[in-house]
Amino acid sequence: MRARVIAVGVALCIACKGPELPKPPAKVAGAQVVDLIPVSLSGETWQDAEPFLALYPSNPRLMAASAFTPNPGGSASATAPIFVSDDGGDSWTLRNTVPSQTMTADITHAVGGNPPMLYAGILKVPDFPLNELKANDFLSPATMTLQGFRADIDQPFVRTTAVGNADRVYVGLNDFDAPDGRTATVDVSLNGGTTYAPRRIETRNTAGQNGPSIRPAVAQDHTVYVAYFGWRSNAGSDVTSDVVVVRDDSGATGTTPFRDLVDPSDHLPGRLVATHVTIPWSNAPTLGQERIGSTLSIAVDALHSDNVYLAWADRVGTGDIYTVHVRRSTDRGATWSGDLRTLTNATDASLAVSTNGTVGLLYQQVTGSAGASRWVTRLEQSRDGFATHQDVVLATVPATTPPFQFLPYIGDYNCLTTRGNQFLGIFSANNTPDSANFPQGVVYQRRVDFPTHRLVDGSGTPVAVSIDPFFFSVPVLP
Amino acid sequence: MHTRSAILLAVALSLPGSAGVAQMSRATLVKQSDIIFIGTVTQVGAVAVPEVPASPRTVVVRVDQVLEKPSAVALAPGDSVTVETGRPGSLKAGTQATFYTTGWIFGRGVAVREVGHEPGRSPVVAADERDAVARARHEVNDADLKAHIQRAAMVVAGRVEQVRPAELAAAPARPKRISEHDPDWQEAIIQVEDGIKGAQAGERVVVRFPGSHDVAWVGTPKFAVGQEGTFLLHKDSTTGSPLTMIAGRLVPAYTALHKVDVLSKQDATRVRALIRKP
Repeated sequence: MRARVIAVGVALCIACKGPELPKPPAKVAGAQVVDLIPVSLSGETWQDAEPFLALYPSNPRLMAASAFTPNPGGSASATAPIFVSDDGGDSWTLRNTVPSQTMTADITHAVGGNPPMLYAGILKVPDFPLNELKANDFLSPATMTLQGFRADIDQPFVRTTAVGNADRVYVGLNDFDAPDGRTATVDVSLNGGTTYAPRRIETRNTAGQNGPSIRPAVAQDHTVYVAYFGWRSNAGSDVTSDVVVVRDDSGATGTTPFRDLVDPSDHLPGRLVATHVTIPWSNAPTLGQERIGSTLSIAVDALHSDNVYLAWADRVGTGDIYTVHVRRSTDRGATWSGDLRTLTNATDASLAVSTNGTVGLLYQQVTGSAGASRWVTRLEQSRDGFATHQDVVLATVPATTPPFQFLPYIGDYNCLTTRGNQFLGIFSANNTPDSANFPQGVVYQRRVDFPTHRLVDGSGTPVAVSIDPFFFSVPVLP
Repeated sequence: MHTRSAILLAVALSLPGSAGVAQMSRATLVKQSDIIFIGTVTQVGAVAVPEVPASPRTVVVRVDQVLEKPSAVALAPGDSVTVETGRPGSLKAGTQATFYTTGWIFGRGVAVREVGHEPGRSPVVAADERDAVARARHEVNDADLKAHIQRAAMVVAGRVEQVRPAELAAAPARPKRISEHDPDWQEAIIQVEDGIKGAQAGERVVVRFPGSHDVAWVGTPKFAVGQEGTFLLHKDSTTGSPLTMIAGRLVPAYTALHKVDVLSKQDATRVRALIRKP
């Protein structure tokens, strides 16, 4: 049974009387956690937040990753880096191939059908225009090629699928130049990024715009789901929002795509999974030094596109700061479950569905209070809609150190994907080399001194603790 | 004079991509480089670590002395570095040189791209070379600052007496957008104590800056009440609202968005010297 946690068991445990020492999180066989910062950057102290990961289905050794990691060359550098691995995530190198001054202001990416092609959507520094980029060989040191660009965009979120010899690219984004304040948009390319067409997916009136997160998910039968926040009104820092899912059954190849899922209440495209939820919009340290306001993830069972999972965060109002909800549809988004999981004071929910139907849920949650508070990063897996689930603690680190350098502290999102019999993902966390912080174990590439829990630079001089990106892999429940 | 002559003296350097030896000042090389070291070529057409692609342009260089590097980079004497040269065959095994480079690939080792190299620098003269590079860097920084001063509409030494939210005139047909990248413009009112360029002591000027902590604005100077400094101010062409109010008067708004735009109060002397410098 390994580390399977049964919800009933948890409830019974909570009901136990008398003090009980907390048990250390269980270690799962085959789990791996790797700090991405290479040994040649051992002096690095940056806040490498908001990580993202891209996998090649046909070559398990190749991976690309990103974070708010700057070009080590400094502020005059004309390029920003990505991390690449050609050994299945055991080791990573940093390459300055993204055409953005030193760093990006947002970056996500996904692979092409023919390795090692890579597509990326970034907000370019300076001035932050959207750049839609392509690398024919992501291992190459060549700078990525610009395919599309425009201003007034937020949070490009890239997904891809291969159809024949052509890659289809879906870039969810918030387009502030969209008419009538219906800003939720998907840039669709059916020709490997050669051309993109912006497709508006909001069909209802908004509070002037949609939320920043526009998240596509693609199944092998070319069904494309997109989740977004339908912001309806705002008062102060609270936004009243619907949580909406649209669907296109033919890969968004038509001229009016994403109209295949209609809500029964108003017969408009876009199923209202939750209505009038309260989104606390806080662009300041609010949850463990992190800002909150746009946590959203959707994942489709790639082999059975009827099955789709959705996670978002809002404020329930029961003393919570921010609460993640997880729901499921088994009929192509027509009807949805109630909350399968409700996670208080959590963010960065990221979903994926493995080929055997197991759903994975990555999230980061603040536990404890004040100086004792911790960011706990967990991967939950379930085969029965979270009636039961396996809970794997990937990291449990201090939430108050290091102090934030900027926002996001750990990321407005992280990333969970799946391939074969593994969940693979990436998260950012305090990088103190303390085995107790990483219950599954951890591999550092950068120089560390575990006995003293210190990071050291190339000359052995202690280095301050910072936020690093961590790759992980966990076996899928059989 | 020693510094200037050292910099202005063009040295013979092998330049990447050039057909042969060309003339390039050390300052120009330093300006384009972030990793500078003295080293000896040990292999040609090879790489020091497998994650770097070998080509006829790559050479392996043993580091003899590190002259400049970012603090994050682990690089020390004795390390082997892969250098992508400007052209194949420009360096032979055994060649010793000062390498001016930019970071390329960071993994188990460091790989760099050559900006240029200065042949024949022995480690025994490393101290001299280090001084020369440091002087060149100082010169580059001064030239960069002088250019910023020339572009600035106003240069003042003073003290921030107030910080307030900026009230920007709404652009027509452009509603305010809610984004995590919103700069959250603030205004610092600076009491001018020393009008170095375009201002006089006693004036009050309004400087807009992003109050946001968002990643898009990291590294952009922020202002706080009581802060003293020397400020290079530019007319606001960023917010779309070039004017602001102070004491009931409509006045130009300024920005100071580059890290060089905000210096210490003591830097006023350096700034004045650079203004006088031809």
